[in-house]
Amino acid sequence: MSWLEELARENKVFAPRYEGDAVIFAPFDPKQEISIKHAATMPPKKTVFPQSEKLVDFTYSKDPENLSRILIEAKEILPKGTTVVFGSRPCDVRGFTMFDRVYLAEKTTDVYYKARRENTSFITLACEKPETTCFCHWVDSSPSDASGSDVLATPIEDGYVLEPFSEKGQKLLTSSLLENGERWILEVKDVHENAAGFLANAPDLSQAPQKLLDVFDNMEFWENAAAKCLSCGACTYLCPSCYCFNITDETTGMKGTRFRSWDNCMSAQFTMEASGHNPRPTKAHRLKNRVGHKFSYYPAIHDGVISCCGCGRCIKSCPVGIDIREIVQEAINHEPAIGKE
Amino acid sequence: MGNPRSESNKGDQVKFQEELKDNIRKALPELDVVIGWCGSFDPLHATPHFMRREEDIDKLEISPLSVHNLATYLPGLRGKKVGIVVKGCDSRSVVELLQENLINREDITIFGFPCTGVVDQSKIKKALGGHTGNIEFCDMSESVIVIKSEDKAYTLPMAEMLADKCSSCRYPDAVISDYFAGEKIGNKGEEDADYAAVETFENLSVPERFGYWLKEFDRCIRCYACRNACPLCVCRDHCAAESRDPHWLSQENNVRDKLMFQVIHAYHLAGRCTECGECQRACPVDIPVLMFKQKMNKEIRDTFQYEAGVDPEATPPLLSFKMKEENITEKVW
Amino acid sequence: MSRPLARSKQMKDKNHYLPEMATINEVIQETHNIMTFRVTFNDPQVMENFTFQPGQVGQLSSFGTGEATFVINSPPTRKDYLQFSVMRTGEVTSKLHSLSEGDQIGVRAPLGNFFPYEDMKGKDIVFIGGGIGMAPLRPLMLYMLDNRKDYGKITLLYGARSPVDMAFNYELQSWLEREDLETHLTIDAKYEGWQHTVGLIPNVLLDIAPSSENCVAVTCGPPIMIKFTLQALEKLGFKDEQIVTTLEKRMKCGVGICGRCNIGSSYVCMDGPVFTAAQLKELPNEL
Repeated sequence: MSWLEELARENKVFAPRYEGDAVIFAPFDPKQEISIKHAATMPPKKTVFPQSEKLVDFTYSKDPENLSRILIEAKEILPKGTTVVFGSRPCDVRGFTMFDRVYLAEKTTDVYYKARRENTSFITLACEKPETTCFCHWVDSSPSDASGSDVLATPIEDGYVLEPFSEKGQKLLTSSLLENGERWILEVKDVHENAAGFLANAPDLSQAPQKLLDVFDNMEFWENAAAKCLSCGACTYLCPSCYCFNITDETTGMKGTRFRSWDNCMSAQFTMEASGHNPRPTKAHRLKNRVGHKFSYYPAIHDGVISCCGCGRCIKSCPVGIDIREIVQEAINHEPAIGKE
Repeated sequence: MGNPRSESNKGDQVKFQEELKDNIRKALPELDVVIGWCGSFDPLHATPHFMRREEDIDKLEISPLSVHNLATYLPGLRGKKVGIVVKGCDSRSVVELLQENLINREDITIFGFPCTGVVDQSKIKKALGGHTGNIEFCDMSESVIVIKSEDKAYTLPMAEMLADKCSSCRYPDAVISDYFAGEKIGNKGEEDADYAAVETFENLSVPERFGYWLKEFDRCIRCYACRNACPLCVCRDHCAAESRDPHWLSQENNVRDKLMFQVIHAYHLAGRCTECGECQRACPVDIPVLMFKQKMNKEIRDTFQYEAGVDPEATPPLLSFKMKEENITEKVW
Repeated sequence: MSRPLARSKQMKDKNHYLPEMATINEVIQETHNIMTFRVTFNDPQVMENFTFQPGQVGQLSSFGTGEATFVINSPPTRKDYLQFSVMRTGEVTSKLHSLSEGDQIGVRAPLGNFFPYEDMKGKDIVFIGGGIGMAPLRPLMLYMLDNRKDYGKITLLYGARSPVDMAFNYELQSWLEREDLETHLTIDAKYEGWQHTVGLIPNVLLDIAPSSENCVAVTCGPPIMIKFTLQALEKLGFKDEQIVTTLEKRMKCGVGICGRCNIGSSYVCMDGPVFTAAQLKELPNEL
């Protein structure tokens, strides 16, 4: 697409394409075909929240005034440059709104995330048809939800209609390669409504936060839910709204870097303390935390917003097919056994 | 290498399912849980099914979608009385676990059945044009798969959709079992394992091979699904890839660290891996990681004439010691 | 209860991950595995402007190894240095133990919440510390002693396995001699030369039997000690709102972002580490 080539002159452009059998967001290469017919295997999380990211560079040196003393200089490494992501889906980008509430909180702003978020624009494609694992409408979203995106592109017969949803988005649409799209407004509405029409009625999840707390001490419930879990990180790393990270240092000689990398609460090491005590020793505890965080703890401190976009990747990519929809609904419908404490 | 499964027919398949359920019904009262498979989130997927009560047995379903190697759950359930339904390849993982004392024989009840192969989801996806998100209907028979997706109907030959391991399978029947439902197909352990794909790859130049892995691992997200799906991985929670003591790997996103983990894992599995292929199947971004272990197994076969997961009394060659090795020439003093 | 989003884009945001460089001025070997570090920031302006509340913590950086969380256990009124006491347990603490005077470390502080010392005014206070658990109690206790008239009777019960496991040894005598502080020391088992009480902390607490009337108990120590101390306090009539403790958790960012230290929806680095027993009872059972 020549518009993308134009954007690529001033920005890093990412678009989904096949790498092996998986569709991932990769730097746009006009010689390689982009694949936007269906949602990508991995969301564009890496563009704003890289898999590993340098935070601080540090250097050791000898103090010239006192040679037995070693000085350390620490320097922050802030990200630079602007990025445009083309071909994300509403659920992919909505995940960043969950990041924003945490990473852009007033007193504890994450400067690295902020630098990337402010300099990344998303041209999101509205979905024409959901997949059977899609459940965005369960979590207050829809196939044409533009929250977090800068431009919403709706596919129509001859191309795409682009609507700006932010200042950044408006700037993107000032290209001479694009023509005015006003006359297709009704068609756009049709596509959006049509897509939403495919989705079956959403169950009421308003009880989820409290119900998940109610079954917190019921280890049998969680052991059953986690019986087939492998405690890997596929669900977490593919999730557009999972944002946990680890901080580690690496040194070579007199130089080193402190950087952060993706981490996941399903891993046994996540909460392991130096004393050897682990508050979440089994996969049942950890699955409880992941589901609890997304559907109960996050909503409790963020105005009831569920930290899940309904993209269904955790279901599709889980090696054993764990379905988070099932777990949440079981928790909601769980009646404590009569006679138990 | 003829497909030994062409002799069975669908009628037999249904019969053995009932016999299998009966076997489980008989054994369940003495067991804490029996693990099998059942239907999942769409007609094209199955999921591991944990049966604790009799009514759970009704949901059991064996089909070419029963891809998961359930042996991976056994070490974690040590101390409990566990029943496990196994395909031929799965049973080899159970044998390997028994060899290494990672599970107790008296605590395991093994249910075998004549396995006619499982499908490779990525092959089906390719046949459907890259999308399996809207499967409405799926029926699998001996020779053909019928799928209805997005109002289009597909008829796919089963032979082309089978997992690679199934096309050259020499152990369709469980090599060890307490109950066997249906007619055995017949194992062919005396035949040689097929490493043609590894040999073809090995014949590429070093830059070609390394370039291939550099490209493939670029998208690896270090989720360790490959590691955790492996029934024989013993380190798991204490993996060198996530350890600071010893500190062999960093957490940086680079191919060097990712390949290092794969190499460590392949070495840990040399002579123990039964090539069940779960590592590759579990990968959410479809990286062909099985080849590393196949290469190691090829070397083990050539050097020690040993195949993992066949004899519960055997010891993997790298866990044993011989004064004089047949195929290792020591330096002359 | 949601956290407000950053409003101004003009102001340069503070980089919460960049430690402030500091120099170790003094190292005290408290016990065989506890060392105390007195540090000052290299930038005199930062040292001058640094303020914190008793109970707040900091992340100490050993560049190349990592970071770990420690309470600032010097009282806020002491402006010449910040004091941290480190028990050697793992990778980072071992590295810190290898440092000496003049060495550089990074400090990210103050983090977390603090003891509700305003609410505790006019009340009797009972401090119950075990081993390294004395460290978080120290800044609050010294702060209260510096503001003596605001508080009623102050009692300290400090216990350890043996005299050689007691931290702040050099101060214990002065605490015993203070008239405005009732100090009880105890060790778990008989030890030659020990002239004070021998007994497990919860039992000694029951012997001392402080009145729960208008009193707040502040306790910190190993989990097993906390468990039985809470039981003893309950026996003595202390209500959950009258008991304050401080928790530990594996932490990385220290500012409620990395998602690691939560208990339910509470982040120990932000909503803690100081909690009342009443608040802990509201949280899911995941200590």
